[in-house]
Amino acid sequence: MELNDAELEAFLHEALPAERMAEIEQALRDDAALVQRLAQVASLIDSGVVSIGGVWRRERLTCASRDELGSYLLGTLDPSRREYLDWHLRLVGCPFCRANLDDLRRQQSESPERSETRRRKFFQTSVGRLPRSGPKKPSA
Amino acid sequence: MNKTAIRSEDVLLEQVARGDQFAWAELIARFEGRLLAFVASRTGDRTEAEDIVQETFCGLLTSLPNYDRRRPLESYLFSIAAHKLADWLRRRQRRPSLPLASMLDHGAAEPASPARPASSIARSGERRHLQYQALADALAQILGQWLDQGLTRKVACCELLLVRGWANKEVAAALGLSEQAVANNKFELIEKLRGHVRRQRLSPDVFPELYERNG
Repeated sequence: MELNDAELEAFLHEALPAERMAEIEQALRDDAALVQRLAQVASLIDSGVVSIGGVWRRERLTCASRDELGSYLLGTLDPSRREYLDWHLRLVGCPFCRANLDDLRRQQSESPERSETRRRKFFQTSVGRLPRSGPKKPSA
Repeated sequence: MNKTAIRSEDVLLEQVARGDQFAWAELIARFEGRLLAFVASRTGDRTEAEDIVQETFCGLLTSLPNYDRRRPLESYLFSIAAHKLADWLRRRQRRPSLPLASMLDHGAAEPASPARPASSIARSGERRHLQYQALADALAQILGQWLDQGLTRKVACCELLLVRGWANKEVAAALGLSEQAVANNKFELIEKLRGHVRRQRLSPDVFPELYERNG
């Protein structure tokens, strides 16, 4: 498998599309030299070396806003921006924009009860870590 | 839920930091769906993904005092989720545990040595941050201009090359460009960034990529 440092860096940050992440995981299981290269890339990042792709990805310089993704789903986005987002989602495979898009789609089909149950669980398992001085929810 | 409609991110975070449970519930409702979609795409199992998202929210509260508010909350939450996910994948041996940095041959890289005085490391950290920010600002400016001008193919071309690490040939085929056009787009971006580094008198050592490729 051909892998360059840009892709390995993105792999370390879980910033590749899921299918590519799985392929690289498989390659790493079979290739000790690739693991060593991955470790070297991690070390370079730790030492402060900055890659253009790393900055672009971390700052999410070309990611869509949530509103834009909503318009993309509705088909009301400006054609030029739509064309770019098609590439960003399909070719670049940005996992963060894909996640937002999946979530927006799911909101249209998921029952409100189901999402409310899940949110309540997240709330109840984390609220104990909040500072204690603020307003309390009655159910908490 | 509180009566107020949609609170801005800053207000929401401020209220969460003060322990406002209504604000915390609102923050969870706003972000859990996208985090769950991100994590589930990797675990393939929504129940496991929910556990990781739960850890992500706990991680946010734990790290809140150190959170740099200049960074968008969504990006910060995704980065916490990515860390939790990577831990989960390592425990299942889907992701390798990497050798310690100190065991590697760094070549030109020079990691911070424990022997260095703390003040020197802090100064170095500040300098790195400024240099990083300068590159981020320059890149944002260039890409913003190109997108405003409708040069979307040029942006996608550079993104595939630099963010995904595709070869010129692959990018040319995917975007319907000649390989020469792909090389020209990359050269133009690198040249603009080099100019910025020179004008800002930034250390080229921090950005080796600008001088190694298309040199």
